[in-house]
Amino acid sequence: MKEVKIVSKRFDIEGINHIKKAIEHGAYSTIHKMFDKDPKTIVDEIDKSGLRGKGGGGAPTGAKWKLMLQDFKLPKVLVINCDENEPGTFKDRQIISKDPHLLIEGIILTSYAIGANDVYIYIRGEYHQWQNILQKACDEAYLQGYLGKNILGSKYRVDITICKGAGAYICGEKSALLESLEGKRGHPRLKPHQKEPEWYFGRPTLVNNVETIATVPFIVENGADAYKEYGTSKSPGSMLFAMSGHINNPGVYEAEFGTSMMEYIEYYGGGIKGGNLKGVIPGGASTPILNATEVAKAKLDYESIKELGSSLGTGGMIVMNDSVNMVEALKNLLEFYHHESCGQCTPCREGTAWVDEIVESMLRYSASYNSIEQLLQIGQTMNGKTICVFAPAVSGVIDGFVKKFRSEFEEYLRGVCNE
Amino acid sequence: MSSKMVEFTVNGKKLLAFEGLNLLKYLLDNGYNIPHYCYHDSLGADGNCRMCMVEIKGKKRPQIACDTLIKEGLEVNTNTPTIKRLREEILQMQLRNHPVDCPVCDKAGECYLQNYYMDYGLYKEGKHKKQKIKKSKNIEFGRNVVYDEERCILCKRCVRFFANITKTNELGVIKRANHSTISTAPNQKLQSQYAMNIVDLCPVGALLSSDFKFKQRVWFLQSSPSICHGCTKNCNITIDYSSTKFQAERIYRYKARRNEDVNGYFICDEGRLSYKEYHTNRVTQIEYKNSIIDFKEAISKIGIEIFIHKDIVILASPNLYIEELESIIKWSKKLNARLYSPLECYKDKEFADNWLKEELRVANAYGVMALEIDTSTPDISSDTLLINFDHKLAQDINTLHRIDFITHSINSQGLILPLASWVQSSRHLINSSGIKQYAPKTLVANKPILTVTEWIEAIGGDI
Ligand SMILES: Cc1cc2nc3c(=O)[nH]c(=O)nc-3n(C[C@H](O)[C@H](O)[C@H](O)COP(=O)(O)O)c2cc1C
Ligand code: SF4
Ligand code: SF4
Ligand code: SF4
Ligand code: FES
Repeated sequence: MKEVKIVSKRFDIEGINHIKKAIEHGAYSTIHKMFDKDPKTIVDEIDKSGLRGKGGGGAPTGAKWKLMLQDFKLPKVLVINCDENEPGTFKDRQIISKDPHLLIEGIILTSYAIGANDVYIYIRGEYHQWQNILQKACDEAYLQGYLGKNILGSKYRVDITICKGAGAYICGEKSALLESLEGKRGHPRLKPHQKEPEWYFGRPTLVNNVETIATVPFIVENGADAYKEYGTSKSPGSMLFAMSGHINNPGVYEAEFGTSMMEYIEYYGGGIKGGNLKGVIPGGASTPILNATEVAKAKLDYESIKELGSSLGTGGMIVMNDSVNMVEALKNLLEFYHHESCGQCTPCREGTAWVDEIVESMLRYSASYNSIEQLLQIGQTMNGKTICVFAPAVSGVIDGFVKKFRSEFEEYLRGVCNE
Repeated sequence: MSSKMVEFTVNGKKLLAFEGLNLLKYLLDNGYNIPHYCYHDSLGADGNCRMCMVEIKGKKRPQIACDTLIKEGLEVNTNTPTIKRLREEILQMQLRNHPVDCPVCDKAGECYLQNYYMDYGLYKEGKHKKQKIKKSKNIEFGRNVVYDEERCILCKRCVRFFANITKTNELGVIKRANHSTISTAPNQKLQSQYAMNIVDLCPVGALLSSDFKFKQRVWFLQSSPSICHGCTKNCNITIDYSSTKFQAERIYRYKARRNEDVNGYFICDEGRLSYKEYHTNRVTQIEYKNSIIDFKEAISKIGIEIFIHKDIVILASPNLYIEELESIIKWSKKLNARLYSPLECYKDKEFADNWLKEELRVANAYGVMALEIDTSTPDISSDTLLINFDHKLAQDINTLHRIDFITHSINSQGLILPLASWVQSSRHLINSSGIKQYAPKTLVANKPILTVTEWIEAIGGDI
């Protein structure tokens, strides 16, 4: 197994949170050379590297940045998405606790590349500890002259403001995040009719995930080709994958795209704990589950997971052994979605509650005989008919569980004859 | 929206429209019956109810019409089996926690939810949830607006009204998922002078006017288009009234009527509630020195008064229609009388705002000016005969020699003649922007009551 250290290169160094130590180990070195570069060359380099967003969607980062290069009347804004609410995902906080200055370095490079002086980090409300680390790191960077009005005497300004979320999963969705940042209720916005940036108070805005931004320093320093040496042709580079669940060494480990899932689980995770593998949710709770045969085939890149009918998402794997009751597991997830639907769209507002109720009634042996069909049917009504992809994701989750572990669901309907 | 015309098809029919026009707006304006809740012409698309879905060629999934822009070659299908099924499904979801208390709901009969159920309901018992989420049924939002949480389908029209139209942000959604509900800020009441418009906007029975609540079932109401007489804006309204056989007609409410050139989609609360004036304190009988006299006697009395007085002052209300004012002008010339229509007493600076409400709280002040009627205050001596056509100033004039044609009773010792209110009359008004509008006659009183023109005709024959 080839180990990669792009984002995690300084993770194991003691005391790296302190800027002095971080600088000793190469942090901010790109900033000293940054002003010799034309911002556009940085955007081009990112575009060439094929870097894909690590927030879950896997959209090409370069294309998003390029949208920011048009002429706008109002100042541009950079927003860092650190809402990280997706169950099974805990890589962003790892970056913040293990190398916060890498993120700040990435922010400075990005803001310079796209020409945004104002940066907001939207951080999950419950992340108190990480908020403090991040604030401290920012304060240090201000003192060292990497942030503020006059970065390294260049007259170039970057200001970072850390904003805390109020505890809603949906505020990780970029347009809901911006609504929340504007002080409104976190409701996702309707998608625009053509490709355009996001808007924060009417200002052109770029929203990127923490890890995406933390990858930028490597690419700027070593060039796009160095990044493309890792990974596959369509999913170049590496990603911080995470494992939780029935695994001997849960945690966050960097691996290049294209790594076999099983190999990764064995190598870093130390194998399955307490039984045989039953299934893996590959990229955060909102991606359809893979059963053991699919896991054996799965490679950790966007294309191969997509072929298996799921998606790589955030790369946060939830590993389950054969002691897991899949109906209960689905119930656990549906409770989350029922609780977190923002409630805007009819199919999602009512649908998430409905499916939750159905699975609950199954667990109580009081479901009607056609419950499975009903679940799938409601899932269909939720799929592709809403403002954001929350509801379609729930539909995919239901489909995955019900279709792949149908017999377990049928077990709960045995002998039931009502309606 | 561009000025380019493009060709597109709806259900196989070729149509022309401006490029970039909202598809749902086009369909609704052209008589297609597309179920929808959250879209409203004045508020635009929000895309939350998902009821307005249509099929568009080339798109894998149905799309919401309210967020589709018309372009060349667009092929739309509004009534495929997929769309029908989708509407059923969405409706079923909306009804899952809905109390279905239509029998006691004031919106019944004009509720979108109810209407769509007629077409897309499943009509199947057991399809609905047995244990619904219980919520509050009577929350007073203030300014006569009451909110029933259980009936709300969360289309956010009310929220968007205060966010986009009045920009006062007085309502918001609170809580999440199917516990979501609409609320004011904690311990706050609505304050907008236009708040009651959200009752018109609400597609279901979640927002009701406490003024109209439990007063009348809407299917007993008849509607007539009209013009509010509350100020010189002349907002377009609909008058909802009942006309049951053998019973006096009764106005129950005014609603805003769309007119982009005048009031847009809305009216002010004060104008909305001014329907009450029609019923209060009306003059119904001919009186002379506080005793009732008959029509013939009255006509001859008028004739005598006019004959014996050299100096006659006529006061004409600026609430009267253009045509009524014209007959007064004609008559005053014939009598050689001095004609006035003072406006000063109708001024109310506090009422005015920078949206609809205007300072002059009378409907046809600009008609009076257009007819060049003297708007100054007349001198009245003890020999002057005052003929008052419902002018507000007359109640402050103390004179013995007077004839009052009035709608609402005032303190007068002279001859009092009941006059048809503007609801019982018709014709034109001119508003502050010079727009001339027609207001049809809405009500015919049980006992016939004469309009200005009819009175003048009646008297004219006798002088
Ligand atoms: C329901 C939902 C929740 C999301 N939560 C997060 C999140 O917590 N963190 C994140 O970075 N992106 C999240 N996203 C993805 C963002 O909308 C957005 O695509 C991402 O921040 C873009 O950054 P990237 O291109 O760098 O990945 C979420 C999306 C959805 C639909
Ligand atoms: S799909 Fe669900 S979470 Fe997304 S906007 Fe609609 S209601 Fe909100
Ligand atoms: S109260 Fe009426 S207008 Fe407001 S969200 Fe509910 S249904 Fe829509
Ligand atoms: S603004 Fe004037 S005309 Fe319009 S409703 Fe109010 S009072 Fe009537
Ligand atoms: S009217 Fe189109 S989604 Fe509500």
